[in-house]
Amino acid sequence: MWQIITNEWRYLSRTKSLLVISFSFIIILLAAAWLGYKQNKVHEKNYAEAKQYVRAEWESIKEMNPHGAAHYGTYVFKPTQVLSGLDDGVNAITGNVLRVEGHVQNEMVHSEASQMQSVSKFGKLKGALLLQYIVPLLLIFLSYHAINSEKQSGRLKMLIFQGSRLRTLVVGKTIAIWLYGFSLLLLTILVYLIFHAATMHTDVWLRTFLLLFSYSVYYFILCGLTLFLSLRIQQAAVALTCMLTLWVVWSIFMPNILQSAVSAWHPLPSRNVFKQAMKEDRSKGIDGHNPSEEREKEFRKEVLAKYGVDSVEKLPINIDGLLMQADEEYGNIVWDKHFGELRNTLAQQKQSYQLGGIINPFISLQNASMGFAGSDNYHHQHYLLQVETYRRMFIKMLNDKHAFGGSKSGDWDWKADNAFFKSVPDFEYQESPIQTSLTLYLTDIAWLLFWFTLVFILLLFGTHKLTVL
Amino acid sequence: MIEISQVSKSFKGQKVVNNLTLTVNEGEIVGLLGANGAGKSTTLNMVLGFLTPDAGNISINGLDPQRQTQEVRKQIGYIPENVNLYPYLSGLENLDYFCSLANIAYTKNQLTDFLLQCGLQENAWHKRVGTYSKGMRQKVGIAIAYAKKAKVFLLDEPASGLDPLASNELSDLLKKLSGEGASIIMASHDIFRVKEVCHRIGILKSGNLVKELRSKDVSANELEQVYLAYMKN
Repeated sequence: MWQIITNEWRYLSRTKSLLVISFSFIIILLAAAWLGYKQNKVHEKNYAEAKQYVRAEWESIKEMNPHGAAHYGTYVFKPTQVLSGLDDGVNAITGNVLRVEGHVQNEMVHSEASQMQSVSKFGKLKGALLLQYIVPLLLIFLSYHAINSEKQSGRLKMLIFQGSRLRTLVVGKTIAIWLYGFSLLLLTILVYLIFHAATMHTDVWLRTFLLLFSYSVYYFILCGLTLFLSLRIQQAAVALTCMLTLWVVWSIFMPNILQSAVSAWHPLPSRNVFKQAMKEDRSKGIDGHNPSEEREKEFRKEVLAKYGVDSVEKLPINIDGLLMQADEEYGNIVWDKHFGELRNTLAQQKQSYQLGGIINPFISLQNASMGFAGSDNYHHQHYLLQVETYRRMFIKMLNDKHAFGGSKSGDWDWKADNAFFKSVPDFEYQESPIQTSLTLYLTDIAWLLFWFTLVFILLLFGTHKLTVL
Repeated sequence: MIEISQVSKSFKGQKVVNNLTLTVNEGEIVGLLGANGAGKSTTLNMVLGFLTPDAGNISINGLDPQRQTQEVRKQIGYIPENVNLYPYLSGLENLDYFCSLANIAYTKNQLTDFLLQCGLQENAWHKRVGTYSKGMRQKVGIAIAYAKKAKVFLLDEPASGLDPLASNELSDLLKKLSGEGASIIMASHDIFRVKEVCHRIGILKSGNLVKELRSKDVSANELEQVYLAYMKN
């Protein structure tokens, strides 16, 4: 086996055209790794500057009514994940700036895609684009003729006569070509990690390992399947056409078709319908029988009773702050209900999409790649939830200050001082641990391993009835 | 020793080899002459174990190529009409690689010795096979079979396309191998080469062994006349 692998590598290293192609590929991959790093650095710099600027703006508020400050609001920014420079995932379309203010839960804005000068179907040049689409093509081109060339040249007879088994030959060649793809993958990721050496930590190492693992398994599936087809189909050109067709179906058509099917099975409400439903629930009450005016009246009564007074003017606190907080909390319940449903639908979509891995390992690879790079929809949702938690804390602090800071009900001119605004904590994003990603993407890993086993069995037993002639 | 006993083979209802019986003893070279489609290559492929006979038996030193495939293959050296080696490897590297597949480890000196004995000049050892002539490739092919210490050699048109000098060197090598006790079957169109090298000659026509004669009993011209007579009938 080892001799066969070594011999294949000598072929790869001594064939000029392949050397040129390999060298070009390495340059492109390294360029993609470098660009990913630079883009991350630019994003990190912008993130740090914007965060600092917005915080400085907030802390520079000398005096302001807390409710006014709640409307003045602040901005939070989505930080960069170390590995998102390799796989940008959904980041380019989800946006990275969120406005935090009272009454409303804002949507993400300033997506990178919306700000790009040039529009490209494939987006920015990232390592994942090459590793998912181009390297597999190269592996297919290297594999499709590997056995046919031996057979057509008559060498296969000689190899068999020297004691080499067809099975060993096929597995050896598969491993050799897979190693080629793995080397390109390893080189790209290593270089990328060297660039990011300063920001590496255990979680990122684990994520990197899982990325490597997922891509490696996928490459083996492709190499093995191409070699198997090359064995089964006499004409190399037909074998190549079959594998290219499979590549197109797997990488381009099927993900789109499956995505559309999944969206149809688990439909998401349109943005307008969603917003309208939230607005109605907030004004009319979740059950439709508890309008905001009624809720307000009830709440006023409760507050007056609590403080043992018969009018708002006699309250030692500012009821407006409490009313606003009560409305806010009702809004939170509405948000939790609607976004909870939305998240459930998204989770159902994701789970259904993941099932596609049984017929298409590319889907599993793409899922796992985004998931382990931390640029998938789950990480985005994780970020949004943290922002919403922060927003609630932020608004509550302002409302509490409005209510208990010393003003009286109806006094909208009362102002909190600078010390208070400085005491409001800034948003700090806590990254999702790798264990969560692993749990979420276990299905994809399982499908990749299923395909790996299937291809390995095909290679081992698919040579059984083959003739050398 | 190669024993072919009443072997027949058909493809799509057409008999390609019909009731062929042939024995090649140790140290003996048997030539198979015949036109294209006479059944020479099919016979070799059955001996090699790549094709299963429809009827009859084949034995290589007492082993059945169909049932004891791996054991038989260890004993056979096969040289096809066109020895296609790896063009990106040198002759020496090709020999080393093929030997390593047979799990035989030779030193560099031993490998070069094999090449030298098979007539490949020293200045070619380290050149890539892609630059070799057909004769040079053939020599490396023979060196591969020779280095395997095969007891049985099967050669399919080994001298085809070789220049006279290379053909002559091939003849010498085959004689040397038979002198060392190897059993050799050589399928060929080349009447004069077969007459020169082989101890016995069989003429195949439409899958039938129509004539078997001893090489020393006929001159090259007589052999040609016999061969042509059978081909015309």
